Amino acid sequence: MIKKHKNLLRYSFDCLSRYRMRSAVIIVTFLIATTMVSAVLFTKEGLEKEAEISVRMAPDLTVQYLKAGRVAPIPLDYANTIAEVEGVKSVVPRIWGYAGISTYTFTVIGLDTSLIPYATFGSIESGRFLKPDDAGKGNIVIGKLIAGLLNVKVGDDIILLSESVEANKFHVVGLFSDASSIYTADMIVMSIQDARQFFRMPEGYVTDFAVYVEDYEQPANVATKMSFLPNVRILDQDLLLRGYKAAYGARGGIFVTLWTILLVGAALVAFSQAVVVGHESKFEVGLLKTFGFSTLDIIEVRLVESLVLGFFATSLGMVLGYIYAAYLNAPGLVDILLGWAFLPREFRLPVFVSWTSVFSIYAVTVIPLMITTVVPAWLNAITDPELAMRRAAA
Amino acid sequence: MRKIYLMPIMAIILTCTVMVICVTNQASWQNREYYNDLRYAIGLPSIAIGTNYEGTRNPLLEVFVRSLYDIPGGYDYVVPSSFIDTPLKLKEYYESVPGFNITIRRS
Repeated sequence: MIKKHKNLLRYSFDCLSRYRMRSAVIIVTFLIATTMVSAVLFTKEGLEKEAEISVRMAPDLTVQYLKAGRVAPIPLDYANTIAEVEGVKSVVPRIWGYAGISTYTFTVIGLDTSLIPYATFGSIESGRFLKPDDAGKGNIVIGKLIAGLLNVKVGDDIILLSESVEANKFHVVGLFSDASSIYTADMIVMSIQDARQFFRMPEGYVTDFAVYVEDYEQPANVATKMSFLPNVRILDQDLLLRGYKAAYGARGGIFVTLWTILLVGAALVAFSQAVVVGHESKFEVGLLKTFGFSTLDIIEVRLVESLVLGFFATSLGMVLGYIYAAYLNAPGLVDILLGWAFLPREFRLPVFVSWTSVFSIYAVTVIPLMITTVVPAWLNAITDPELAMRRAAA
Repeated sequence: MRKIYLMPIMAIILTCTVMVICVTNQASWQNREYYNDLRYAIGLPSIAIGTNYEGTRNPLLEVFVRSLYDIPGGYDYVVPSSFIDTPLKLKEYYESVPGFNITIRRS
């Protein structure tokens, strides 16, 4: 019995090389489709995961000020009112915004240097992070993108133009590491006093408040308690996370849909090839049945063929998709996936290969291929062998 | 080894490679240095992509691009729509944002 199946296996492997054109067409079409689908899926999940990590580190609540429907600086005295709300652990005022250099926009962060944790220093490649005595001195720590763009290093001075077209001179005291680039590439971190000066933020106002709630409280409940405050908008982590997932998911979804359509096309090509070859192999099937092959034996042969072809093409496609996304930063694809965003060459695209993605890709490639190969084989196999050989000869 | 065994063996090797990539990739995410203290200190929710567009590191609404950059008579639907399809259809956009002025939303 085992010997019979071994022989059937050997015969089906032999068929793979005998019907070379069919094998090549199926492999190429499935290879292209699975490479693109896997690159999109792996990248989309990587971006979602990175966003999730950052959102988890974000404040429990972000309080902004609305004026005529637009975000405006929030009065500093709101901090005291918010701090008195039940469940609020701390309220951190922030001043941050954007600065343009060339065609790029960088994120300028003003930090209260007296509150910076020591562990933050691990993200620095050269120089040092800000210290409490850097407040108001114009010292900054910059990311790899701006360092590369301006060709600056620790110890150099840079001049940034503010919105009011005034030149502001800053001294670079630290450079963020490559490893932290996914978060820091576009950052210019300075003391909150320097940021106030740079943005010409009026005294008594800040950009927004980072609010941290007590461990026993739900941020959403605390946010509800703040609803009495006029002109504020309160964003919680869950809302931000869903926003990011929607942003990356929506674009990724479009491409997965497109490439799934291509996969269906590839399955149709496989079906067409199987029918054509099925026509050619009618004589062969008739001969095999005359020699004593059963219908099940012939289906087994074709099943093994399609499994080998399916797993070969799909696995190779996924390996190539992974290399394309993880090592080559998915050129051509990433621009569309990120929308208007761009990816600084200073860091690699975050790629996450989940079991769900891997098995989904196998499911949408191998199973349709099996069906489209086995069905024509079954139709051939149930035909009377003599009739099949006569038709093939004719 | 006979030539006919080449493709089946390659199929098995490649499938195992995919499994290995999956395991090692997930392990690398678990062992990665996220610089949590830095992210906690800075507190921005986004990663550093999209730095040529000023909205991408701003909380929520600015993620959905310039929804507050309204033009006289109505919000700019074109720009957010070009970013992620039509954000006004997303419930995250209009259901859970306290204070978001949605009074001129189209019916």
